[in-house]
Amino acid sequence: MHDVFFAAFEAKVALTSDERARIQRYLSPKKLRRKQYLLQEGDPCKIIAFVEHGLLRSYSVDDAGTEHIIQFAPEGWTISDLYSFLTGEASAYNIDAVEDAELTLVGREAHEDMLRTIPKYETYVRLNITGAYLAMQRRLTATHTATNEERYEAFLHDYPDIALRVPQHMIASYLGLTPETLSRVRRRIASGQ
Amino acid sequence: MVFLAATQRPALWGAGSFALQSGSSMYTKQTIAIIGAESDHGSAVAERLARGNYRLLLCAGAGGDVAALAARLASERPGADVAAVACAADASWEADVILLTVPYEAELDAAARIRRRACQKVVVSTTNPPEVPGPAGTSAAEALQRLLPDSKVVKAFNAASAVNLRTPSISGQQPDLFLAGDSSDALALVSDLIAAAGFNPVVAGPLSASGVLEQMQLLLSRLAAGGAAGWKLLRA
Repeated sequence: MHDVFFAAFEAKVALTSDERARIQRYLSPKKLRRKQYLLQEGDPCKIIAFVEHGLLRSYSVDDAGTEHIIQFAPEGWTISDLYSFLTGEASAYNIDAVEDAELTLVGREAHEDMLRTIPKYETYVRLNITGAYLAMQRRLTATHTATNEERYEAFLHDYPDIALRVPQHMIASYLGLTPETLSRVRRRIASGQ
Repeated sequence: MVFLAATQRPALWGAGSFALQSGSSMYTKQTIAIIGAESDHGSAVAERLARGNYRLLLCAGAGGDVAALAARLASERPGADVAAVACAADASWEADVILLTVPYEAELDAAARIRRRACQKVVVSTTNPPEVPGPAGTSAAEALQRLLPDSKVVKAFNAASAVNLRTPSISGQQPDLFLAGDSSDALALVSDLIAAAGFNPVVAGPLSASGVLEQMQLLLSRLAAGGAAGWKLLRA
């Protein structure tokens, strides 16, 4: 039920069977159907979700009703609104399932308990947050310096499986482009210009 | 129908220390599994909760049929999100909150079936033992918590009969419904369910108070025997 979670955990930090059993008691298995919300804007985010199977996304919606995708989370990835999770404030984001999904959830109380009592969980969380920070910094830099073509090609290179699983308008949203602009970008790349 | 109207605020066990956490989910639709939905009590709970912003997964406790109930609830309320699920473990996997509305004798057996999928989730014990429980710690809810040590067990809905659930208000007033549990998050979630069902949620205390709630219901059931459908508790 939490196989992918533990595989990802142990790829970073090895666990004894006793530590694994202790962590397992804090994990909640959850199934989510396609289009079902894990979190809706305005509610506090009470969980960190690890994706065992399927695909989730987080996004905000502006005043005009346009969605801006922050993150995709396929198998092996973690998704949450960390700010809301840590502060208890209402979230500005939505998280929903792009595909039917099986998740491993960690609630706030469980998270705090594990940080306090299981040092290897703290190491795992630190490595995860460091990785997420570096990825966000890289994405921000690309937003400022790279062309639309470069950013689209980087997306295809970095996330080839996601590119095959989500519709083009979601990729456009993730890259901060309109669907029409992304179509032009793809045509220019296809024609080798 | 017999009414019991409290003339003063009921004494609450440790009520001061059980302030509910604000900030429960207002927008995100919670998924509620009702295991034992084919029973009179279970179907009445399902009927009330179908009025709220919930996804309901109806599951039979032991071989009953809930497909007709799911179809009826879905047709009665446009937009109602109700589905029948054959397997209790599957329903619990998808659920955020699990209500066990099976008879007392079947509660522990049902809990054993959902144990792995109920980890860290809210599980509501709605049943009452047929006899007055023994020493402290022997209530149905506490026995359930021992069987599901990694779940957040809450005692609730045990004091509302099916008839009461179907007609909760008295002259436009909402009756009270007690709940007990050890997790403030879980109490907040179940309080939302009770409010959605048309009652005022009143936190009676930690899970150790559930024995008193079960005994109270047993007493009220005995007093109501002989034609009355049950009791409603009104705060005056």
